[in-house]
Amino acid sequence: MANALVSRSIRTWYTQAASGRWTVPTFIIVWTVVVIVPLFLLLLYSFLETKGFKVVWDPSFHTWDRFFETGRWTVAMRTLRIAIGMTVIELVLAFPFALWLAKGCRSQGLKAILLTLLTIPFFLDLSSRTIIWRALLGSNGVVNTVLMELGITSEPVEWLIFTEFSVFFGLAAPYFATMVFPIFLVATLIDDEYLDASRDLGANPLQSLFLVIVPLCLPGVIAGVVFTMVPMMGEWVVPQLMGGGKVNMIGRSTEDALSTLNYPTAASLSAFVLAILVVLLAALTLLTRRRGGIAGLFEALKL
Amino acid sequence: MTQREDDPRIGALTRRDMLKTGAAAGVSVAVAGGLSVGMTQVAHAASDTIRGYGTTTVQLKDWSLFNKSTGLTMEFTPTDANMGNFMRDVTVNEVGDTHDLFFTDGGTQYKLGPEGFYLIIDEQHPELVLWERTSDNYKRGYITQTPDGTQYGVPMVNNADSFGYWPEAIGVNPNGLEEVSWQKLFENEDTLNRASIDRNWLLTMPEVAFYMQVYGKAEIVDNANLTPEEAKAVGDWAIERKQAGQFRTFHTGFEEQVQLLGNREVDIINCWEPATKNVNAEAGADVVRYAYTVEGYFKWGIGAYIPTQAADRDNLDNIYKTLNYFLDGEYRAFQAIERGYGGPNLDLGVKYAEEVGWPADQVAAVDAVQKKVDTKYEKPFWENLNPDHQESMEEEWQRFLNA
Repeated sequence: MANALVSRSIRTWYTQAASGRWTVPTFIIVWTVVVIVPLFLLLLYSFLETKGFKVVWDPSFHTWDRFFETGRWTVAMRTLRIAIGMTVIELVLAFPFALWLAKGCRSQGLKAILLTLLTIPFFLDLSSRTIIWRALLGSNGVVNTVLMELGITSEPVEWLIFTEFSVFFGLAAPYFATMVFPIFLVATLIDDEYLDASRDLGANPLQSLFLVIVPLCLPGVIAGVVFTMVPMMGEWVVPQLMGGGKVNMIGRSTEDALSTLNYPTAASLSAFVLAILVVLLAALTLLTRRRGGIAGLFEALKL
Repeated sequence: MTQREDDPRIGALTRRDMLKTGAAAGVSVAVAGGLSVGMTQVAHAASDTIRGYGTTTVQLKDWSLFNKSTGLTMEFTPTDANMGNFMRDVTVNEVGDTHDLFFTDGGTQYKLGPEGFYLIIDEQHPELVLWERTSDNYKRGYITQTPDGTQYGVPMVNNADSFGYWPEAIGVNPNGLEEVSWQKLFENEDTLNRASIDRNWLLTMPEVAFYMQVYGKAEIVDNANLTPEEAKAVGDWAIERKQAGQFRTFHTGFEEQVQLLGNREVDIINCWEPATKNVNAEAGADVVRYAYTVEGYFKWGIGAYIPTQAADRDNLDNIYKTLNYFLDGEYRAFQAIERGYGGPNLDLGVKYAEEVGWPADQVAAVDAVQKKVDTKYEKPFWENLNPDHQESMEEEWQRFLNA
């Protein structure tokens, strides 16, 4: 009798949960506790200040004033510029490669080798991989030595290292795979019959690419952009080693603030970037409104 | 239960408070956490391993020497010289839970001592046999005590920092004895885009301020303890130099110092003296030099401090045996030879070198280290790593970095 009651209760709960009656409230509660409250605290912290390694509970705009006066906001903007620019570059490089890997590469052995090679960045320490470039691109490095030996330059090319160019260069390899994998996975799901149908209906290769393949790959592109751009915004190993500390990005600036236990400034940096990301997300939502919003793009996966 | 503010165990209790809170949320989590702490304590009590945490250059290059002399094993977690990071790790990350000794620049005890993160040194501890013969010049004062005379640290090494350089590149005598001006690092046509400075505001900003002070570029009272207005003046001038192209790069750690100087990526760099020794070990004897300066030096000393949590463990005898080792001849002789560092009881270092049969030139080199340090200390110097307005200093330095 008791077992039957318990069983019925569980069944009732499951039915209600499956119907969405509890799902939404549960999600809202968990999301509020795990995400919204910490974000609120982050924002609150940005209105406090630190004195002598201690946070002073005296709300003011002091931290935000200093945030703009000391140029920390430019760090956030530079970080965004580099992250967005590099993400676009990665997309341009990764999309054709991922598409070829998914649809063009006929050798399963070669495909397996290439996929394995793409995972290498995940196994090696980033600083170890990056420091090698300094030896190659430095004033007395291999590249400059070769350039001078060949008579191409008479003295070392110094902008190869410790510049924004070298930061872009250093970021290219570590974040290539994070763009390739999602696009590759989505591209493999595209039924070849769609491509045949497109061709049968008279579309040329470019039309098939932009009217069939690209729309169907959008979920992978969006995932690739997220997996590439978001971690890149917190990057500080490459900017330090390749930029020589001259290309200050938000990860390092936040670390600097934390080194004086200056949590309010670290919070203001994070809040500022978060606000910009919200604006970008809103813009993306507006742009994709005609296709049913961002969620609508993922409908392609149902095909 | 009310916790008194002067309770020296406040820092250590923080973790337990968190575990209690965890218990309210989930007993299993708290038990797991408690077990892990308990197991750590048992491991400390049961083993002859000393776990050290701090500035990497206080290390012996071969810790087996320490093992042979004391029967103990050193497990060292190296850090850079960023005092802010160190204080964060001690206060927030509570590395004292897992380490027996901290090694860092003098000054942290001003804050971390009274706030209960360091144990007061037991000067009568039976393992600390060399304490009595150690000169007050070393064991008392800025590196190891608070202004009220409370003893929180044991002195390890000291030096006077300046910069390393390639002599012919900056146009000075290669014998290394010529006094070189800080002007070569900060404001010189010959070293434009050939200089590197440490990215750490706490190290470099007082150096820039010192140069400005000496040459009247700004009204600065204490270059190591800048007011917000002075910090702004230093920031403004440093930005001018940055925009003039003086600095090729801003480095962050010891390894980077060695690489930049060793690869000749730069000709002059404010660095630790051991960096020049490492470069010379690879590139040839005395090819780079560590500067005797015209104007003065950053005087510093590193001490060893016992985390408060160590009081809960049963390896305090081993900790004091380790502290005593740092006062003895073997450690002193190797620090002198390997790093060029001075420190307490250098006579024991010379005695050790003679007894184990080091060549005469090496014995002389050990002896010369103290003379070198003393010579540098005859010049003006600064030593404060505990400025009153560190927030404004850090922010002005950020302005410089972001310019």
